[in-house]
Amino acid sequence: MGEKLLNKSDIGKLINELGKEYSIYAATNDKQGNIIFDKIEKAEDILLDYLNSKIPPKSVLFPKVETLFEYEIKDDDIEITNPKDLYEKRIIFGIRPCDAYSFQLFENFFGYGQFKDELFKTKKENTILFGIGCNLPRQTCFCTSVEGHPHKKDDVDVFLVDLGDKYLVESISEKGKNIVQKLSWLSNTTEADIQKAKELSKLAEESMSTKIDIKKVIKIFQENFDNPIWDDISMSCIGCGSCTLLCPTCHCFDVIDENDPMSKKGRRIRLWDTCQSSIYTLETSGHNPRPNKVQRFRNRILHKFCYYPTNYDLIGCVGCGRCINICPVNNDLRNIFNSILKIEKKEEVKVV
Amino acid sequence: MVIEEENQNIEQLIRELARKLLEEKQVDVIIGYAKGTVPLSSAPIVIDKVEDVDKLIWNNLCYINLAKYLVPRIPQFTDPEKGDLKVGIVSKGCVGRALIHLSVEQQLDLNNIKIIGIPCNGIINRKKIEKEIGEREILELSVSGDNIVVKGRDFEQTLPFDEYENELCKVCKVKSPPTIADICIGECLENPVIMDDFTDVADFDSKTPDEKWEYVKSLLEPCTRCYACREACPMCYCNLCFVDQNKPVWFGKTTELSDIIIFHLIRALHMAGRCVACGACSSVCPMGIDLTFITRSLEKIAKERYGFTSGIDPKTLPPMMAFDMDDEQEFMLEED
Amino acid sequence: MSNPYIPLLTTVKSIVSENKVNDIKTIELKFKKEEDYKSFNYIPGQFAEISLIGKGECPIGIASSPTEEGSIKFTIKKMGEVTSGFHKCGIGDIVGVRGPCGNGWPMEEIKGKNIVVIGGGFAFSTLRSLILYVLDEKYRSDYKDVTVIYGNRDSSEVLYREILEEWEKRDDIKIVLTIDREEEGWTREVGFVAAIVKKVAPSPDNAVAVVCGPPIMIKTAVAELVNLGWKDEQILNSLEMRMKCGIGKCGRCNIGNKFVCVDGPVFSLAELKKLPNEY
Repeated sequence: MGEKLLNKSDIGKLINELGKEYSIYAATNDKQGNIIFDKIEKAEDILLDYLNSKIPPKSVLFPKVETLFEYEIKDDDIEITNPKDLYEKRIIFGIRPCDAYSFQLFENFFGYGQFKDELFKTKKENTILFGIGCNLPRQTCFCTSVEGHPHKKDDVDVFLVDLGDKYLVESISEKGKNIVQKLSWLSNTTEADIQKAKELSKLAEESMSTKIDIKKVIKIFQENFDNPIWDDISMSCIGCGSCTLLCPTCHCFDVIDENDPMSKKGRRIRLWDTCQSSIYTLETSGHNPRPNKVQRFRNRILHKFCYYPTNYDLIGCVGCGRCINICPVNNDLRNIFNSILKIEKKEEVKVV
Repeated sequence: MVIEEENQNIEQLIRELARKLLEEKQVDVIIGYAKGTVPLSSAPIVIDKVEDVDKLIWNNLCYINLAKYLVPRIPQFTDPEKGDLKVGIVSKGCVGRALIHLSVEQQLDLNNIKIIGIPCNGIINRKKIEKEIGEREILELSVSGDNIVVKGRDFEQTLPFDEYENELCKVCKVKSPPTIADICIGECLENPVIMDDFTDVADFDSKTPDEKWEYVKSLLEPCTRCYACREACPMCYCNLCFVDQNKPVWFGKTTELSDIIIFHLIRALHMAGRCVACGACSSVCPMGIDLTFITRSLEKIAKERYGFTSGIDPKTLPPMMAFDMDDEQEFMLEED
Repeated sequence: MSNPYIPLLTTVKSIVSENKVNDIKTIELKFKKEEDYKSFNYIPGQFAEISLIGKGECPIGIASSPTEEGSIKFTIKKMGEVTSGFHKCGIGDIVGVRGPCGNGWPMEEIKGKNIVVIGGGFAFSTLRSLILYVLDEKYRSDYKDVTVIYGNRDSSEVLYREILEEWEKRDDIKIVLTIDREEEGWTREVGFVAAIVKKVAPSPDNAVAVVCGPPIMIKTAVAELVNLGWKDEQILNSLEMRMKCGIGKCGRCNIGNKFVCVDGPVFSLAELKKLPNEY
């Protein structure tokens, strides 16, 4: 379908050319050597050979700290303006299919219902996603178990496959087609290139070591809310929230006002928050609907594998495995699934 | 003895002791470590059946401070019928220090706890290993002889243990089992070695204020305010952390540098004279921030100013909970 | 692009203390722009996210009824930073309003039925909205008998004294006020709300109960209703939860797969029984 080839040595040229019109975000190192998605100033800063980023690329369109609106307090009025970066034209370069799918989930969730999150929607509309297939998924990846695939192309605008010294470039959407056309210097593919890409896709799929019957897991979750197994599963959890921090599908946020009393200007911002915090649901009256660690732990898992499917018929997890890698007490989601699958019969009638 | 052998010995003895304690019903549950499902991890585990003792392991990736599971903020070991359960806890030196200090602060009753003291031979610095290996997936990590062997899909690297050991472990005072251990594996030293000249913090101390600021800034910048450090720390047991208070709101919750630095510095002040240098905070940080220099600076101040090391003596109050008429006050008063 | 987080601006028209200890005040807000007021179409039981820009935002049930034209009212208890800020407001101060949020009382579905309103303490504010709506001459004939049981710790805590006394004089509504303990000068009922529900014994025939109050009051009052033969679908609760965005995006207020700010705050007992007990 009009695939092209991009030599790895030409990445700099690509970035410089696209960088004239778009802000380029890609995987790069932070000061401590963690891989994050950040704005790229120089093409050399882009990491091409990486497994996956520490902080998921949702941070580009749904940043850790995001302005909801800015205000200025005047004599008898308050002037409120939209955040300034809403219409910034962005390219997110080199995201994995799992993370690309998380953008889709975000779009679904934020666009659902009577009130829509226009901030995310606007930012996404002005963003072009360049995805890259995973030739070597990690041992902790399980995207194929949650309806994903290491070479899934649906959720990006342009899809790249690493063929060694070059990338196969495929336009997926209209946006993608337009931008690839602008890069008229890309070379043409041969049949061998296309074949190789297909082979790599197949190899990647076969190398997935984790396979879970997720539909069965979801069903058991829906029927076993009060099962005492939750006490065992959550025993070692220390409630640090690292899993939620690095999860590409987590979207919970806190809202606070920040103001400068001198200039009478300020902004209302939202920040990433975690349902694992002990005060997450604490009401001003002192009542806390989820005072126990077990409840908070269960809420996170069920949110992704029970409430999401019930509400939107989608699985709220993309199988990236970040939570498995980062958990300081090695609370492995796959072990949780295995424990759950051992529950033979329905424990109770409550279905959530 | 080489590290590999030591590990096997310790593991063997932990299992034997655990079996004995459970069979004789001296304890209801045992808290220890199990093998992690990903190469650079270990998993805290609670077992209550004799058949499960073989799940207990010991290796140099057991970085979690198990004392955390006994602080009152995480009530897990109370049975409505039996009351508080009798808990056996696998204690390397810093875990023992944490238990002692928590008992001094009256947060737990050592009588309900059977401390299984083990000699710890050091914890591996996970982040340093990851940095060394780079973006190649680590499939297996093991200790062979006195070396760390890291294997991936198409590589194998041998790294010297002492270079990849946690900085805190290199200056550890309690490599032998804690003095209050009920059961010891190996030699229980009467008095742990407390000789420490804090040469590792001399470098930071000798910096100019501007240099110190630059150092702290670049260290803490990646902080994402996840509070994993706080949750892993056995000394952080406040019901409402100062960060979460809203009457008044002490400082911002954002990841802007000013907010980040204030969080870490105030938390450091709260740790003064209390931190047991277990390094769990650095090991659990998802962004790999190494808070060693803060830990060590606090220890140095407590030692030099008050002659105090936390978690060694179950009877001495920590300096921030006691006062002496001879305490120096040069930061407040002019000399007479 | 209409940013759902930007509030509409209103000014404080009046601020009235509702109890002796002065920690509950009703604040009346007038929209700065006429078209904002016209667009703010709400029904009883809904809430709005009201904010003091620079201080913060909180979800408060709308106490006024849509039949009270020109302004909207909120009854606010002083509990935290933002609510204390509201208490210090003066006439003319600017307050941001986002909403209306939530599902509200199902005014359409309960047409043609008897309505039993059971309220406790300070949670009476959205019930005020409901009662005013039902009593309005436009809508009164849509509903049948209305019984109100409203309990408080003591007589100084009773909200909306004036309007309650007006309602007591009407013959198309039955008002039963109660306080927990005997008090000099109090000639009405004495006893916990649940006990008064038992005494009044409202019939479940063609009726719906609207319950709003502190958790323990809800629990005991609902138990009495069940004893009297009320079915779960007939009992409606308005829940409180910690909220931030109020529009179902921040994820905080979920009970199971429902968000209290969007699928609630009004839930029938039948719906609640299907959800996890985390509220």
